[in-house]
Amino acid sequence: MSLQAATAPAVSRPPWIWGRGLVLLGLVGPAVAFSLVILIPSLALLLVNSAYHFDRIRVVPIVTFEAYRTFFTDIFFARIILTQVRLAVVTTLICLLLGYPAAYAIAKIRRPAWVMAAYILVFSPLLTSSVVRAYGWLIILARGGIVNWGLQTVGLVESPVRLVFNFTGVVIGLVHFLLPFTIFPIISVLLRLDPALKEAAADLGATRLRTFRHVTWPLSFPGVYAAAQLTFVLSMNAFVTPQLLGGGRVLVLPVLIYNNISDLQWPLAAVQALALIALVWTTVFSSNLIFRRALAVSSGAP
Amino acid sequence: MAGAVGPASESQHAVSEIVVKESEGGPAMVRPPVASPDAAVELREVSKAFGKIHAVKGVSLQIGQNEFFSLLGPSGCGKTTILRMIGGFEQPTKGLVYLNGRVVNHVPPYRRDTNLIFQHLALFSHLDVFDNIAFGLRMKGLDGRAVRQKVLAALELVDLAGFESRRITQLSGGQKQRVAIARALVNEPSVLLLDEPLGALDLRLRMQMQEELKEIRHRVGTTFIYVTHDQTEALTMSDRIAVMRDGLVVQVGTGREVYGAPRTRFVATFLGDSNLLEARVTAAGSGAVIVEGADGQIQATPHTDVRPGGDFFVSVRPEHVQVWHPDEVDPGIENRLEVRVREVTFKGAFTEYRLVTRSGQALIAHLPAGPRRALVPGDAAVAAWRRDDCVVLTG
Repeated sequence: MSLQAATAPAVSRPPWIWGRGLVLLGLVGPAVAFSLVILIPSLALLLVNSAYHFDRIRVVPIVTFEAYRTFFTDIFFARIILTQVRLAVVTTLICLLLGYPAAYAIAKIRRPAWVMAAYILVFSPLLTSSVVRAYGWLIILARGGIVNWGLQTVGLVESPVRLVFNFTGVVIGLVHFLLPFTIFPIISVLLRLDPALKEAAADLGATRLRTFRHVTWPLSFPGVYAAAQLTFVLSMNAFVTPQLLGGGRVLVLPVLIYNNISDLQWPLAAVQALALIALVWTTVFSSNLIFRRALAVSSGAP
Repeated sequence: MAGAVGPASESQHAVSEIVVKESEGGPAMVRPPVASPDAAVELREVSKAFGKIHAVKGVSLQIGQNEFFSLLGPSGCGKTTILRMIGGFEQPTKGLVYLNGRVVNHVPPYRRDTNLIFQHLALFSHLDVFDNIAFGLRMKGLDGRAVRQKVLAALELVDLAGFESRRITQLSGGQKQRVAIARALVNEPSVLLLDEPLGALDLRLRMQMQEELKEIRHRVGTTFIYVTHDQTEALTMSDRIAVMRDGLVVQVGTGREVYGAPRTRFVATFLGDSNLLEARVTAAGSGAVIVEGADGQIQATPHTDVRPGGDFFVSVRPEHVQVWHPDEVDPGIENRLEVRVREVTFKGAFTEYRLVTRSGQALIAHLPAGPRRALVPGDAAVAAWRRDDCVVLTG
């Protein structure tokens, strides 16, 4: 009996290993299942539809791939992709330029009440719907809006400046909407930095500026990168802001997809959707590669 | 540890005559260092308050050139704040901080000739070992060749030659420690500040690094100011120790002085173990102080601040208490108390005897293993210690 008792644990698998696995599966399962249920059928649907024929009013289930031919041969779509990437890049850069100093300042606030106030301020754009936000901007940026009135009153411009229904308007709207997504990853990485590191730099003779240049900035770079990636991806996929603030003049893939679906041009919409997915994924993966290299470089000599 | 004071009893067991020798030579107490214009660091009446919390309350210190000086005390005693004021990370609310004779109260850290080794090292994880050590030199604007030469020499100094291109994350605790030391020393600071840098290491590595730090210090010959709460570490490494409590320096002196002649109960118990006995001083001279306690008279080393009539504690270290069979006592020892053995514990290098006096006071004695007749709990014995090992505490 005692012999059995001694050998038994070594032979049989402790039951808690299975139990633990099951618990983990139970925890992660619903979220994954939900995503897959949405993702896989819709991707399949896209693939199937993209290959079908469209005869002016409806989709005919004949495999022709003609939508692909249209998309890849028409220079119109190349221009649209270019505009869209330009829009995303400009938006991301402006968000970083505005967001980094804001994140830096917020990360330095000591009083909990002020931190809370800063967070509410930063995240306030997300508390309103994107449609309401866009119409708000329309009023503010219109020819007779407050911004043009201000510019004219001060005397900076003679006649009203065009601020909506163009590239500028969309960028303004996107920056407003995406700034919280830029600021947040940067704040979290700045808050994780050990304050002793800055003191160590100062102790070693670095002024505030050089401490930032050689310590704070390189150490916060992963946060900047995450922020840039998030902002870029979200602006690539933005629909409401370009649709409403672009006024039909700033065409991007999500807007085209929406229009084509309304026109029942499903094959082209499907191709465009797949192109958008491919575009976003390529930028994410290639930027990851670049990031790794940049990290290796930034970790070099100060 | 510290003997509790039992209920006062009138029974007296004086085992020696009152002898107050008048000898030449002043008291064996520590004299504060004479003010010297070439002190590496000097604090004059320095105070620091954080809001309502007074971290440092009027501390004056002089630290000599090339001295290894320790600030020793429990956490929250203000020792790190003093270090940070010397490094320039905090400004005193009152008082003056001098570095090499110059007031530096408002000089920022990056313009001070000091370097600090941080408690958690604060190495730059985005830089490799070479660039960490080169950081200070590059900030000073040294050219690449000079930087390389000095960094390699610093790596040599801390025994890390060949580690230049290692990442910080690839280093062990002891290696990180050495990188931090090299990163500070490569700048050849006139004062090196160390904020409990060995705290995170395990005991063996800690002891090894203590030895290495001592050796490095002899090689570079610079002033070291070392903050620690570990009395052994302070005793092992320092030329002098300032014992701190509640924002005040309680006592300054060499390890021998501070350990051998503690001034207050706090110092006596914070540095090592001590038997504390409450007693009234009946006679005080330059040869000895006689106190009258619950178990009779005790002779202690002379003390300038002690006058007859006052109530004081006297302290005697457990390793200075001998335990004899009643019929074997060495009559040359000034202080002898009849005791009973309560507990005997073998501790390796020594044996600990827990004793009770006739008045009920507890005493602890640490005796080296040796060819003596074994005492067991319940035995009657005599606890004896020399006058020179017995100190009157004034606080």
